[in-house]
Amino acid sequence: MGALRHGYITGTGVFLPGAPVGNDAMEDHLGRIAGRDSLFGKKALRWNGVESRHYAMAPDGSVAHTLAEMSANAVRAALDAAGLERRALSMLATAATQGDYLVPGHGSAVHAELGPGALEVASFQSVCGSSLMAAKAAWLSVRAGEHDVAAACAGEFSSRWFRPHFYEGTALVDAKGRVRAEADFLRFTLSDGAGAIVIEPKPRPGSLKIDFIDIVSLADRFDPCMWAGASVETRADMKTAWSHAGPRAAHEAGAVALLQDFELLKRVIRAWVGAYLQKVDEGRIVPAEVDHCLVHYSAKSLRAEIVSLLEDTAGMIPEEKWFSVLRERGNVGSASIWLMLDALVKSGRVRPGEKILCVVPESGRALVGFMMLEAV
Amino acid sequence: MSDAVADVLRKLAVVFTEFEGRLEQTPLIRKLSRGRFELADYQAFLIQLRQQVKDGALWMSRAASNIDEAHLELRSALMRHAVTEHRDFRLLEADYVATGGDVAAIQGGEKNIGSEALSAWMFHEASKPNPFGLLGAMWIIEGLGSIKAQEWGRQVKQTLALPDEAVRFLLYHGENDANHIEEFKTMLAMVLPDDAVAARIVKTAQVTARLYALQIEEIGA
Repeated sequence: MGALRHGYITGTGVFLPGAPVGNDAMEDHLGRIAGRDSLFGKKALRWNGVESRHYAMAPDGSVAHTLAEMSANAVRAALDAAGLERRALSMLATAATQGDYLVPGHGSAVHAELGPGALEVASFQSVCGSSLMAAKAAWLSVRAGEHDVAAACAGEFSSRWFRPHFYEGTALVDAKGRVRAEADFLRFTLSDGAGAIVIEPKPRPGSLKIDFIDIVSLADRFDPCMWAGASVETRADMKTAWSHAGPRAAHEAGAVALLQDFELLKRVIRAWVGAYLQKVDEGRIVPAEVDHCLVHYSAKSLRAEIVSLLEDTAGMIPEEKWFSVLRERGNVGSASIWLMLDALVKSGRVRPGEKILCVVPESGRALVGFMMLEAV
Repeated sequence: MSDAVADVLRKLAVVFTEFEGRLEQTPLIRKLSRGRFELADYQAFLIQLRQQVKDGALWMSRAASNIDEAHLELRSALMRHAVTEHRDFRLLEADYVATGGDVAAIQGGEKNIGSEALSAWMFHEASKPNPFGLLGAMWIIEGLGSIKAQEWGRQVKQTLALPDEAVRFLLYHGENDANHIEEFKTMLAMVLPDDAVAARIVKTAQVTARLYALQIEEIGA
């Protein structure tokens, strides 16, 4: 076997469905659960800092784009940015929190949308971190010499989870029509879209060399923090899971909606910070060498004591080096990291030799991914 | 702040998050986070905490008595610390009584295997000349006070529907701990830079974290 090759990101692409939807219009767009205004929506928006986002589903429930379409459009845009035709692509790794189908894998659906031409596909399902899982598969296949053009895409169609009928008539809504915080918060946090990168073994001007992709699972420590498929109370033993109780009973138990435990999230955030500081301590990440830091959390949403901990431990990357499009494009889960990278590249502010640190925290069952890029 | 202090703080922060992860996996804390905590769990927890909190001021005093004249500021800091905390175990007894427990039961409570090991380790370390490694132990124990105590206290109170009087140690002890990180940085600066001391502080934190978690593992195991 020959020596490993380097892998370079030679193109990035994004696809965002429809016109941007502002904070004032979003609840009209998603619909009101049991006809009531949300209790937690404004608080969620203050915390996440999102002011505008895109939805692939119209207020009347009609669907403008499937997730596979959005993902394929992002791949086409990334190929286009790399100056490549569809036929050049030989490997596709896809990422999503939930594909259009329960079965089969999302990679097949995106290939079907991309149209003719043989492809190796790999489907990664997790939450935000699935983006880097797919990127790592694509990168390693180029590094190993198995493929000369590989793409990794990530996309979300979150809004279809947020329709009122996902919650109404379930244990998530009380007799007065109030929806549980675990369900309500996420409706005001996540939105739709897709992003993609193309990886090749040779750089072009403006390419980004991938130095490393490290993914750290902390699932041995925590119960699920963001999940779908089990109710809040029985998420650890799966009694209400759709796969055990059947889809109708699971829905009534509130086990089908997308949920997040915000008390647990605080502990998970500390674990992410610990995993990051460990990378710093090992010398894998040198904060002073990072020129651009991409995290799909706003620095403001990190609590003051976390920022001061990072400062005390020489782990903080100064806020002026943080780059984000969260405010204008929304939190698109797994696609967020590619949305940010695409915008950073197209902003023209990356200079040759600069380092870009991408941090992808996933609350799901506590996971965090790190990717270091170096501009060629 | 010096690089030496930041380097040790970073290693200690990593040790603490690993410690938190280990605590999460103990049967007692799993029950707490899954809403299956019972009064007997809380009472057993208070009994172990009481023995360990009572010992805390004692080993700190012993450590202070072993610090030489070249480090008088650190000796003063440890003595002040010991004075501040040496009656805190009474609060745990009061909490225990407020849950309906008998004060004799908590006062006569037996240390479990982990508590025995933790206590023996602390006194052993504190008996050495200039036991600066114990700053690592303080980081772990103070961290529990400032980061975990209130979180646990709120969950206990909610799950067991207890009045505030029964959860005072967990809910309010942490409030006094807000300035501890600043105080802690000052103490680190008194003994750093020194590579051997830095390594010993981190090692002592690791051992203390492991034995503390063993104490929790042994409750209701």
